[in-house]
Amino acid sequence: MSLARYLIRRVVQVIPTFVGALFFMFILVRVLPGDPARLIAGPEALEEDVRRIRELLGLNKPLYVQFVDYMVSILRGDLGTSLKFGTPVINEILNRLPYTIALALVAESIALSVALPLGIISALRPRSKATYISSVISLTGSSVPIFWIALIFIYIFSVSLRILPSSGADSPRHIVLPSITLSLLLMGNLTRITRSAVIESLSSNHVLTALAKGLKYRVILIRHVLKNALIPIVTIMGIQIGSLLGGAIVTETVFAWPGIGSLLIDSIFYRDYPLIQGIILFIVLVFIVINIVVDVIYALIDPRIRDVLWRTS
Amino acid sequence: MGEKVLEVISLRVYYDLPQGTVRAVDDVSLDVRRREVIGIAGESGSGKSTLALAITGLLRPPAKVVSGKVLFNGVDILRLSEDELRRIRGRKIGVIFQDPNTYLNPIYTSGFQVAEVFEAHRGIHAKKYLNEVVKLFRLVKIADPERRVYAYPHQLSGGMKQRVLISMAIAERPDLIVADEPTSALDVTIQSEIMDLLAEIREETNTSIVMITHDLALLFEVADRVAIMYAGKLVELGRASDLIKDPLHPYTKALLSILRYERKKKLTSIPGSIPSLINPPPGCRFHPRCPYAFSKCSKIEPKAVDIEGRLVACHLVGGSE
Amino acid sequence: MEDELILRKVEEARKKRLKEMWSVFKNNRMAYLASYVLVAMYLMALVGIFITPYDPYDFDLSRARQAPSLSHPLGTDELGRDILSRIIAGAKYTLGISLMSVTIGALIGVMLGLISGYMGGLVDTVIQRAVDVALAFPTILLAIALIAALGQGVVSLIIAIAVSTFPVYARLVRGSVLQVINEDYIAVVKLLGKDPWYIMFKHVLPNITSPIIVQSTYYMGLAILLTSSLGFLGLGAPPPTPEWGSMIGSGRVYLFSSPHIVVSPGIFILVTALACNLVGDGLRDTLDPKSRMFIRRV
Repeated sequence: MSLARYLIRRVVQVIPTFVGALFFMFILVRVLPGDPARLIAGPEALEEDVRRIRELLGLNKPLYVQFVDYMVSILRGDLGTSLKFGTPVINEILNRLPYTIALALVAESIALSVALPLGIISALRPRSKATYISSVISLTGSSVPIFWIALIFIYIFSVSLRILPSSGADSPRHIVLPSITLSLLLMGNLTRITRSAVIESLSSNHVLTALAKGLKYRVILIRHVLKNALIPIVTIMGIQIGSLLGGAIVTETVFAWPGIGSLLIDSIFYRDYPLIQGIILFIVLVFIVINIVVDVIYALIDPRIRDVLWRTS
Repeated sequence: MGEKVLEVISLRVYYDLPQGTVRAVDDVSLDVRRREVIGIAGESGSGKSTLALAITGLLRPPAKVVSGKVLFNGVDILRLSEDELRRIRGRKIGVIFQDPNTYLNPIYTSGFQVAEVFEAHRGIHAKKYLNEVVKLFRLVKIADPERRVYAYPHQLSGGMKQRVLISMAIAERPDLIVADEPTSALDVTIQSEIMDLLAEIREETNTSIVMITHDLALLFEVADRVAIMYAGKLVELGRASDLIKDPLHPYTKALLSILRYERKKKLTSIPGSIPSLINPPPGCRFHPRCPYAFSKCSKIEPKAVDIEGRLVACHLVGGSE
Repeated sequence: MEDELILRKVEEARKKRLKEMWSVFKNNRMAYLASYVLVAMYLMALVGIFITPYDPYDFDLSRARQAPSLSHPLGTDELGRDILSRIIAGAKYTLGISLMSVTIGALIGVMLGLISGYMGGLVDTVIQRAVDVALAFPTILLAIALIAALGQGVVSLIIAIAVSTFPVYARLVRGSVLQVINEDYIAVVKLLGKDPWYIMFKHVLPNITSPIIVQSTYYMGLAILLTSSLGFLGLGAPPPTPEWGSMIGSGRVYLFSSPHIVVSPGIFILVTALACNLVGDGLRDTLDPKSRMFIRRV
């Protein structure tokens, strides 16, 4: 019950931020050099065509009216119409969204399946190879330019070895290179935080209590060390969503992966402003929603937070 | 009383640190008899906590047992395998730690954590033992135990959390309970309640209790015998009543005089400070602060001498004057 | 007279501490090496244009896409320009843009944090809301949005990255201000009639210098990656600017036949970002070893 109330509270808290982002995008588009109506009409258009387009788009109404109209249409799910395709922006986004989601999920899974074991082992056995490997990964993950390593991968696996495809999304094999590339971005910090979270957990006093009870080492490890270490790990996963989304934009572009990231970059070059705006707002919304989800997961893991909600609702 | 539950023989525990070797417990011998409460008192840095860890088999690197034995029911637990030790911990030796706030895992209910003691020694998952835990909670006087077993540590008061820790220690009716500063983290009023509880437990079971604290007044209320530690050494050991009436070691005298004079329980006002355990002073470790020190004290370490059941390590006592 | 003596003693103590910190830093061999690499890179950025073996803008299609050789150690790019020269000249762009945007972002962020924390009330709320909005965007997305609106160019790039980096500083500084402001001695100083800015500078700033420095070093690395990513995507400085990311972006089409065009600029980006991270780690260990809250990439 309190969880639902927490959810509602978080959503309410987040509304002003989203409106702020809307406002920001709104202003941004108005900052564009040139007259949007003219841009849309094209260089050949006659004066009256431009005027008609301006009226059609409501560009001659006072600014605040435009903003309200804008907000209302967003709430209805209407993100405008793409200039290039002529179709509703929201449709274009939804068409390509599944690809981005797939890429993100696979990349995150890869990152987790490498970072978690590596982090845990290097925390439990500080002098092992695992520690060495995890520091290397952690350092390179935060220093390597994704677009460059993507190209290197393409050269090695597509051009030289010819075993993996380099662009498009026609078969399951196509997701391999893009997702591995994207996962490198996440692995670095994930490994580092896992390791420090487990080390921290290992040295906590309640582990001593568990030992004093005579519990088996394996039980202590899982129940009292690892589960406690989950909290900081989930924290970092939440923080990384931003990098994940940003990295997806670059990765999709390099691999011509048909997700919304590559759509965004394309639309910038087409000067398809409604599409640009729509995608950006969509990504912001997704980001905000995921953050709320992460907070809810916290409440599920850590009973102390659950109680704070209980008392303050 | 009678047979010895625990016998510490010439124990030396050192810590290997980058700054040097810390001689935390340096040749300490004592024994604990059945059903007795023995208190171990000393300032922080006296080595008492290390002693507690050694007795319960919880020493971890960089701590190292250099020499000596710890005989529990006749068996040297320092030589046991990890698996054998595990079977003793929690079932034959119970531990009550000092800070209920950090020694309980915040993400599990208190009932579950106590039930884990049963799980460790009887098999079957902890959650099956909740009924037993309710009974335990009643024993340690936790109000409304049926509800409290489902409570998380942060939902309980300090005193209640400590009772949870106590119930963990007594769950399997151990032969020995080691209580490391069981009341330091609590309010004064709660402290006496907890001490009463421990006294009751001693009465009703056959358990021996080793109580470690820096709070002398508390000790003298409950303990049968008291051991005084200083800078890793045992300086005096004897019956509580004897020690109060007639302290033999200068350190003990100083402690007791502070107690009487200030009515405060902290050992703060002896001039000078605790010596470094890496480079302890030569001879008797207390000599720099001792009002009665004479030439021999700075050269030769006093050996513990038995005077009518009392062990004292001081050149002034037992024949070397 | 006594005051002078005391002041001198304080100065000496401070110098001693600085020297101690430097030797701790030096102990960390990786960080030490990395700092030399960084200095070398920045030197290259500063004087690069004078030491390029060839003119970085001089193109000649007949020389295009030559593999590395003695006359062109890193080969030539798709328009026949010497890659080594372009990398040397490009350092100014990639590194300069990063440095400037992080500096501006830090300045803005610190200022906003100070104002926000000290004034409280409406000002605080407004600023914090603005920071929330900025943080609601994934970093690169905010930069892309700004560039889409402001158009391509070095200035847009700097503004875009500065805006992406200021929020973290604002939050950091505001937190510290709030901590300090509640302490009793601040009330006393206020009563004495001292100017609030004085309080800010004398009491708050010293406490947060270390986190700011460490965070900035990490952000430098991030900014380099961000700048080059935007350059790669074609959103950076317009051609023929030899920004390292743009070089990779234009050379990308020829990956199959002439991979060397893409490889070398990337290595430079990697090495510089790595150096920033290593120096950041070193600084963190020297200045504040307990703190593990710094994340290299947000």
